[in-house]
Amino acid sequence: MVIAFLRTIILYVFIIAGIRLMGKRQVGELEPSELVLALLIADLAAVPMQDFGIPLLTGLIPILTLLCLTMALSVLTMKSVKFRAVLCGRPSIIVENGKLRQGEMKKNRFTLDELMEELRMKGVTDLSTVKYAILETNGQLSVLPFAAQQPPTAQDLNLHLPEPGLPVVLINDGRLIRRNLLGRGFNDQWLEKQLKAHKVDRVQDVFLMTVDETNQVCLIEKEGGR
Amino acid sequence: MKRFWIALALLAALLCGTLLHTYSLGGFTRRLTHSLEGAQDLARADRWEEAHTLTEEALQTWSDRDVYLHVLLRHADTDQIYAGFQEVLALLESREYGEYAAANARLVTQIGLLSEAEQLTLKNVL
Repeated sequence: MVIAFLRTIILYVFIIAGIRLMGKRQVGELEPSELVLALLIADLAAVPMQDFGIPLLTGLIPILTLLCLTMALSVLTMKSVKFRAVLCGRPSIIVENGKLRQGEMKKNRFTLDELMEELRMKGVTDLSTVKYAILETNGQLSVLPFAAQQPPTAQDLNLHLPEPGLPVVLINDGRLIRRNLLGRGFNDQWLEKQLKAHKVDRVQDVFLMTVDETNQVCLIEKEGGR
Repeated sequence: MKRFWIALALLAALLCGTLLHTYSLGGFTRRLTHSLEGAQDLARADRWEEAHTLTEEALQTWSDRDVYLHVLLRHADTDQIYAGFQEVLALLESREYGEYAAANARLVTQIGLLSEAEQLTLKNVL
């Protein structure tokens, strides 16, 4: 068992180092330590589950060891910026002022095709409009266009728009969510009035009804409900 | 920081538990090996009844820890040792020293390997 314990620690550290060396694009949306944890736990749990000749503890001890290691590492990464940089890496600037930083791309094994794909997914087709493209530690690409290329905001246009706030669902597929109705300070009479205003007879005929903080109601009837 | 210390405490507890298991298994297998070697000495001196009793006692010691062994060791290994005990006891009854000695040596080796695989050595870790 002590061998399993030590092997788990060695393999965990070894695989994290491997994932870090592979570069950020291999990581996906998880941090390297989280990805390694997900990879290892699934495999460790499957072995004693399938093979009854192996004691359950053979799977449980490494899993518990991994969870403890991850917990300890997550606290250390929160406390120390240096440790976080070692474990998770640092974001890499791939595009700066519209110019590609080829050295960074090579370092991260990030190909031009992948960069163009990510830019297209962000709605950017012209590299020269990008002020910064940053490859984050979780493998995602953040794209920041030049200020001149950014769409104007209401504030830029000196417009004072009402803040609609968060709309809450009052009716979901013909079911009234009373908690939300009462939470917004409305009652059955108000609901009835709203249904009448939208020419709907019953709650059951409504597919979706929401109300925002300015009391704007959105009502979608069920298809073929009446 | 509390979570960090909890994680470290759990890791330390796991390490201590596994080391305790290794130490305990080492002592347990040494006792069994000692009994089986003693039984072989008795058989060589033609004291078959005493050898049989000593081997049965060793089997009883093994069976008393059945749950512990099944929870912590590979079942194929524990089953093989149990079968080895049965073979040695059968050969003790037939009083065939040559075959008994070979089976007993095999059983002692299997028990020794069981403990050796759990010892904290660089060879095992790697």
